[in-house]
Amino acid sequence: MRRYVAARVGQSLIVVLLVTTVSFFLIRLAPGDPFSFAGEMAMNPAVRDRLRAQFGYNRPMVEQFVLFVGNVARGRLGYSHSMHRYVGDVIVDVLPRTLLLMSVALLLSFVIGVAVGALQALRRGTWLDRMLSSVLLAFYSIPDFWLALMALLALGYWVPIFPAGGMVDQIMHDYMSLGGRIRDVAAHLVLPAITLALLSAAGIARYQRDALLDVLPQDFVRTARAKGVGERMIVLKHALRNALLPVITLLGLSLPSLVGGAFFIEKVFAWPGMGYVAANAIASRDYDLVTGTVIAGGIVVTLGSLLADLLYAAADPRLRAR
Amino acid sequence: MAISVPADAATIFPPHVFDQVGRAVQDQLFDRLADISDDLNTIGDKGFKPRLADRWEWSRDSLSVAFHINPRARWHDGQPVRASDVRYSYRIFTDPKVGSNVTSEISTIDSVSVRDSLTAVVWYKQKRPEAFYDFVYQIYIVPEHVYKDIPPEQLRTSDVTRKGIGSGQFRLARWDAGQRLEIVADTANYRGRPKLDRVVWSMVPDAGAALAQLLNGQADFLEFVPPDQLRLVDSSKADRTLPYPSLQYAFLGFNLVDAKDATRPHSIFGDRQVRRALSMALDRKAMLQNVYGTFGRMSYGPFPRSLSYADTTLHLLPYDVNAAKVLLDSAGWREPSPGAVRQKNGRPLRFSLTLPLSSRPRVAFGVLIQEQLRRIGAQVDLDQVQGKYMRRAFQLQIDDAPAVWLYDLSTVAGIQRRIHPTVLRADGWSIHLPDWTIPPNERIARDRVGLGGATP
Repeated sequence: MRRYVAARVGQSLIVVLLVTTVSFFLIRLAPGDPFSFAGEMAMNPAVRDRLRAQFGYNRPMVEQFVLFVGNVARGRLGYSHSMHRYVGDVIVDVLPRTLLLMSVALLLSFVIGVAVGALQALRRGTWLDRMLSSVLLAFYSIPDFWLALMALLALGYWVPIFPAGGMVDQIMHDYMSLGGRIRDVAAHLVLPAITLALLSAAGIARYQRDALLDVLPQDFVRTARAKGVGERMIVLKHALRNALLPVITLLGLSLPSLVGGAFFIEKVFAWPGMGYVAANAIASRDYDLVTGTVIAGGIVVTLGSLLADLLYAAADPRLRAR
Repeated sequence: MAISVPADAATIFPPHVFDQVGRAVQDQLFDRLADISDDLNTIGDKGFKPRLADRWEWSRDSLSVAFHINPRARWHDGQPVRASDVRYSYRIFTDPKVGSNVTSEISTIDSVSVRDSLTAVVWYKQKRPEAFYDFVYQIYIVPEHVYKDIPPEQLRTSDVTRKGIGSGQFRLARWDAGQRLEIVADTANYRGRPKLDRVVWSMVPDAGAALAQLLNGQADFLEFVPPDQLRLVDSSKADRTLPYPSLQYAFLGFNLVDAKDATRPHSIFGDRQVRRALSMALDRKAMLQNVYGTFGRMSYGPFPRSLSYADTTLHLLPYDVNAAKVLLDSAGWREPSPGAVRQKNGRPLRFSLTLPLSSRPRVAFGVLIQEQLRRIGAQVDLDQVQGKYMRRAFQLQIDDAPAVWLYDLSTVAGIQRRIHPTVLRADGWSIHLPDWTIPPNERIARDRVGLGGATP
């Protein structure tokens, strides 16, 4: 087991390194740099050149990369010119917000996905199964930003039951009690979390339906029925537990799409997380912040995948024995 | 009051401020010596309202003006405002190491001296009708004691410049970069307590989300509402739209020089006849109506119409498709077959039109221009870029681009710096973009006309 974990950690490090290297060069190959544009008034070229020299952006790209790797190895992620803070400090601020959004979305997507998938399997071939399949396919096909905008329009404006963006009430939050603040964040979390969850739940439900359909005809389910166990107990205790294994694999697979989806969802809902910051950083060519968020995102994804693998190993005795 | 804005202020340090949010915040945190009156008269000092200076007097030769600082004025950290702060402010606004955006606008000022702790004297190089405006409008007074220990070249990256310590009626309470910026009333301000207690700028990048926030009450103010969304706001019981005059205008800019050799004219737009033909093929009134409804106004040149001296008698080229076709024919651009793209010496009449993704109206204009020019045999490729890279598009010699610029055209000096006099006489008007290459022959002509101004 230890060797397995060590191997997975090693693979994860390679993935993070590769992704970081690609993003490092890509953002530098794009036109401009953090000092190239100062709105409609151009920055004095002499000042721009001096700033470029000060931060080493005038050096050959390979040299910049070597310096960057050395700094990252020492835990220095650089300085964000758009946020005017050290990248490490920015990430410490925004990562928990993204993790909060992702974890709630992940939880919701699994609850919805497993429940809907199980319902479809139990009502296989009925109109309900067909209707849910169509709805899930629709959600699976909808672009995330469009669903986000529609959710915003429907539940933030037409029926204004949730706040239309942001993480807190900008005016009143500081004056709320602790309970009020928690409720405030929760209310702002609903729309982005549900949007992200619906997009992932569609895939999970499909997997869950098929997995349960594979398990239900098996001998141990027949035996349970023969012993007089109730249908609800058969499904919840015997069939569903065994059908969850492939879905656990999906946990790891869902993370990259959730992190990627967060880029758009956070931007549309003005949720000040890592995706929101990264999108702004790309637009302003904030080199260090772009690579910093890519590293953080890569670590989150690979750690999540690792966690999913470990969960799978824990749930499957055959794998544990190896 | 909560204001929804699409992007954060890049900086609130006056010498470096350039974006709209930065300007709005700067106006609340920092003071000028005097402020321009509502009629926007930039000539002389009549109508200017006292701010940090409660009075001023000119020297007999009109080459200097002494500003008397209001003795009750205090910085937000409690320190008194001194004449030395005025001198320091002038220094950093003109220091090339600081790299202020307005250095060229105050090039007529010679120096600032301190007569006593509350009297600063501004000295000019020459007499000018807008001498007073040049100093008081462009230079916000900043506290010397806060910034003096920071080397000028480090001011752009210093955290101190994000503290916003000024003398304005509001003080900075909180700034979560990219998320929100909050100012609160300075209750002991020398100009009195402002009417609002708090103002929060909330960053909402998505225009739809920003509008939804306004409509459901999360935001109180949104500066720009897209024309096609006006009905939504007007149908709301809580919100209403208010049109206001602006110094902003949009134009279609042609690149006049060859992409590879700036000394040669552009193969299409270098010919005045072609430019005239393309202009005449565009039904500007219909496009304006299509995009802005009743809110847009035709421009008669580079002078915003909200200015008193805007010249509405300038000759506008008529909308005349047939005349445009004749002009193109006579310029050698002929249709190989009816409806085909025109050609001249084997080169098709095809060019790109660069548009900012962020501007829905300009993207709409782009589509309309593309379609109308297609009818006279010109093929236009729409090239959408991020708004902030429009300037880059000009630098990269992209063919043409509809642009909106907020250059300072409100003053004679601003117009001298930006308007191209040769083209103004011959062909309508043209704008000098500081980074855009100007053909040498036009540069000579400009000097000959003698309007001068800063070299772009």
